Amino acid sequence: MENIQLLMHGFAVLFTVQNVGAMALGAVLGLIVGAMPGIGSLAGVALLLPLTYRFNPTTAIIMLGALYYANMYGGAFSAILLNIPGDSPAVMTALDGYPMATVRKRPGQALLTSNISSFIGGLVGMVILTFTGPALANFGLRFGPVEMTALLLVAMTSIGWLVGENPTKGLLLTAFGILLACVGMDTLSGSPRYEFGNIYLLGGISFTPFVIGIVGFAQVIKLMEERSLQVKAAADKLTLRGSMVTRHDLKRLLPPALRSGVLGTFVGVLPGAGATTASFMGYAAQKSFKSEEPLGSGAIEGIAACESANNAAAAGAFAPLLALGIPGSGTGAVLLGGLMMWGLNPGPLLFVNEPDFAWGLIASLFLANLVTLLIAWGVIPFLIKILSVPTRLLIPCITVICVVGSYSTSNSMYGVVVMFLSGIVGYVLQKARYSTAPVLLAFVLAPMLESNMRKSFIISRGSLGIFFEKPISLTLLVVLSAIVLFTAARPLLVRAGLLKSKGAGQ
Amino acid sequence: MDRKRSPAPFGVNQVIPIAAAAMAGVFIWLGLGRYGFWHEDKGPLPGFFPVVIATAMLIFSAFAFFASFKEAAPSWPRANWYVVLSVALIIGATFLLGLIPSIAIYLLVWLRLYERCSWRATLVTFGVVMAIVVGCFVLWLGVPFPKGIIFELIFR
Repeated sequence: MENIQLLMHGFAVLFTVQNVGAMALGAVLGLIVGAMPGIGSLAGVALLLPLTYRFNPTTAIIMLGALYYANMYGGAFSAILLNIPGDSPAVMTALDGYPMATVRKRPGQALLTSNISSFIGGLVGMVILTFTGPALANFGLRFGPVEMTALLLVAMTSIGWLVGENPTKGLLLTAFGILLACVGMDTLSGSPRYEFGNIYLLGGISFTPFVIGIVGFAQVIKLMEERSLQVKAAADKLTLRGSMVTRHDLKRLLPPALRSGVLGTFVGVLPGAGATTASFMGYAAQKSFKSEEPLGSGAIEGIAACESANNAAAAGAFAPLLALGIPGSGTGAVLLGGLMMWGLNPGPLLFVNEPDFAWGLIASLFLANLVTLLIAWGVIPFLIKILSVPTRLLIPCITVICVVGSYSTSNSMYGVVVMFLSGIVGYVLQKARYSTAPVLLAFVLAPMLESNMRKSFIISRGSLGIFFEKPISLTLLVVLSAIVLFTAARPLLVRAGLLKSKGAGQ
Repeated sequence: MDRKRSPAPFGVNQVIPIAAAAMAGVFIWLGLGRYGFWHEDKGPLPGFFPVVIATAMLIFSAFAFFASFKEAAPSWPRANWYVVLSVALIIGATFLLGLIPSIAIYLLVWLRLYERCSWRATLVTFGVVMAIVVGCFVLWLGVPFPKGIIFELIFR
């Protein structure tokens, strides 16, 4: 009850013209920045940090918090409409969002599903943060290198096994993604590795141009096959009413959104895991539940699972940031820098010494979640007009966005070259029926996995036993074994008539 | 298009696992030979993780290779590669003309000459895309796009 009173006090702090205005501005800018490929929440928050210098700390962090939050909504826009994820957490959204918008001809519903799921995930995350913030932060601290290694192995293996029609292909591409991430500097010693004497490779392969290429540019190459098809945009779908989800759609999206909301919050709390991991895990977890349509073919459940998880993770990431002063991600680090710049010291005493600030921020995230939902819903009719643009006009437009977006991440043509090459690789893989999602997941998580795995071995002096001694890692390894064994045994179970085949719906 | 597949004895379905195996081989060779695998006191060395993963990749490649003969070969429409060619030309032209003029020329040439769009459609599309590029990326975000050798020579 005390927390509810404090939250109400936070709302009282929040409701000033300046704070509400800053929050709405943050939400709008977050949507725009999130939808632009190559920018992302980290760059968005960093770019807008100077704008907040004139505000008092509470107003400033409210604006940045709203921006960070809205960013998670915005990333899904380009993923659903153009198959170009605006940010890495939106990679999984593209898997079902783009087919739902194009193949199933329900772009408005795909966007609204993403928005509603983001709202639900954010709400679940904020409720958990309100009631268990400090406890949650302490739970996150129990995840040392051993536990993180086990968790990351579960995330990677489950996607490798579960995405696509062939587990061998999934695992092959998971390994491919990990090896690509090994190029550049060794994560622990800082020595060059697999850079082949190339100065650009010394810094590794940039993630954003890589994603833009392997997902977006590959899609543009494939779109050439459809360029002569006539676009039939139904007029009723270009209105708010035409974008509404049905009661049946809502029934389908609620369970995965709630489940992923809880899962995403806990993943968001873990140091370094962040919204991308949450999104991948939410999607992987959804594979274990029933979906009306197969995941990857435009299923509402798929969009709901990953969108809810990434917004919940954004909320969860505030727990260690505020309660312990530990940022869970790059964006969290920029926010922490902002807090320190304004003379605030995040940690257990923040809630005691600066209750106006701490609870005002939490209240603003609740309100920002609602305001962003309304703004995002309002712009759907304008956004889905993109899909009524003929493919032959869309191809050069997306190509230019791919080039410009990949350049802007590094301010170097190296980004464009990475996008170009990964686009060709992505296209060839797609044509050979390889799902590229495992490459992306592995590429994002590999540095974290390597660092944690090596630290674990250093702690245990090379013994594998350490993974079985700690209860959390042991539990996660049991889950990992269950996933692998179940997938391996699945064909036998189908043959014995104990399970339906994947093609028969999930 | 993907559905229309014709069986082929050897093609991209086999090339992908072979390329993956070759990549794994390079990573194992360099990992063991140059970066090191394990040190008695320091524990895992920089080559440890890539060698473990590359070994697994080698095994997966073998499975994927033998399974690939059951799959039909995909088709490769020539028109698809025009997009690849156009981006290669943009990258090349950037060093000479700069990135913004290169994409401006690409847009006009692609829309007007390749797609044979009307002048109206060409100019409207061109205007919208350039407004996003210049408005958001150049003016708002201040991205310093490369200007190219010709610009540097004229305005230096």
